[in-house]
Amino acid sequence: MNRTAGRGQLVWVSVFMLFTLHFVLHIGLSYGREAPDLLTLGLLIAARELSLARASGLGLVAGLLEDAMSLLAFGANSVAMTVVATGGSVTRDLFVGDSRLFFPAYIFAGKWARDLIHWLAMGPEVRQPFMEQAVVEGSLGALYLAGIAVVFSTALGSWSQK
Amino acid sequence: MPPYGNGPDSGARTRDLVLTGLTLLLAFGTMYLPQSTQERVSALLQGGLRPFTALQGIVSEGSARRVRVETLQAELDYLSKIMSTHRAVTDENRTLRKLLDLKESLGYDYRPATISRPGTPGSESTFLVNVGTSDGVQVSAPVLSPAGLVGVIREARNSNALGIDWTHPDFRSSAMLADGSVYGMVESRRGDFREDDRLILNGIPYHEEVAVGQVVLTSGLGGVFPRGIVIGTVLGIAEEEGAWRKAYVLDPAAAPGAATHVLIFMGESGDSVNLGDPEGEHR
Repeated sequence: MNRTAGRGQLVWVSVFMLFTLHFVLHIGLSYGREAPDLLTLGLLIAARELSLARASGLGLVAGLLEDAMSLLAFGANSVAMTVVATGGSVTRDLFVGDSRLFFPAYIFAGKWARDLIHWLAMGPEVRQPFMEQAVVEGSLGALYLAGIAVVFSTALGSWSQK
Repeated sequence: MPPYGNGPDSGARTRDLVLTGLTLLLAFGTMYLPQSTQERVSALLQGGLRPFTALQGIVSEGSARRVRVETLQAELDYLSKIMSTHRAVTDENRTLRKLLDLKESLGYDYRPATISRPGTPGSESTFLVNVGTSDGVQVSAPVLSPAGLVGVIREARNSNALGIDWTHPDFRSSAMLADGSVYGMVESRRGDFREDDRLILNGIPYHEEVAVGQVVLTSGLGGVFPRGIVIGTVLGIAEEEGAWRKAYVLDPAAAPGAATHVLIFMGESGDSVNLGDPEGEHR
């Protein structure tokens, strides 16, 4: 019981740190795609711990914060993050998630879906061509975040075992 | 046992689904809010991100200060060279205006500012400046770097303002060749990749000849941009339509990504352009 509660606390502290670090990197230090999308990573981790409604609510809040700086397509991030968080919560009923491959695959799929939905939600006059934004940049971004997720889960795993 | 039917968990499950549906509706609804409401919501949300925007301001001001002394000295020498001939031109202009019985032309006021860029998705082609309405900055004010036109202010708030640079699809400026012979409209055109984004000088009559390398300036038509700001140089023909219109690709003078310190156009100043020597005492 104590071990489960401790793990839960560790997850929520990590999610909070990922959210904060994301805004430090992307807004405070003005990094673009070279910095990983830690908001999506934190959201996907949190979604596995939350019910559908709470996950979608958290997704909406995260998306709105991303949209605060978006003049091009206000609302596109909100839609993308809400849908992805809802989807992430649904995977709780579909996958146990104890396999070693599951976590990076889940993050890869979640990030790729987030970029695809964002691309779809942006107006056609604003978005980049599908090949560039959704296929090339989307896949590279998803792969990058999956790599970060592996490092993060390894660090978190070794920390929780201490 | 899954919570189907009238079990004790089915009510909670239904409530969960209804709330999720409402949240999704709310998320989709944000896209269809009127632009003024979107801007209000955006301004409200930026309040929550203030620690990060403050950090961004500190970082960009720091990087603006790291300009090398040699670069500043070179810029000062260049400006001194221009100013040494400018005084003679101004005197000549004043004399000619008197002969033609014309009023003195007015100068322009600019406000220096530091530019920073959020790296969040959807904020591409936009920037934040550290001055706002309290400093006199208004919507549609042109933003300039020493190299040329960077963009225009889109949303002005009390202490900062949001602008779009020339890579934004909504960017437009009336333009002319430096010799004033040809007028057209400069607009941004997106390429297959961001690196292919180009500035296009459009609406040039087919019979007008525009040579490669000619400098393109703002024409002042339309009243948004003052006349004479450098936009770029002509690289070549982009397209021809029938035998009545041509468009040219421009090499932009200012690289928006590299701009850190900018000037924001505030309007015409009350003083005429006379370099502080209206009576010609020091001639």
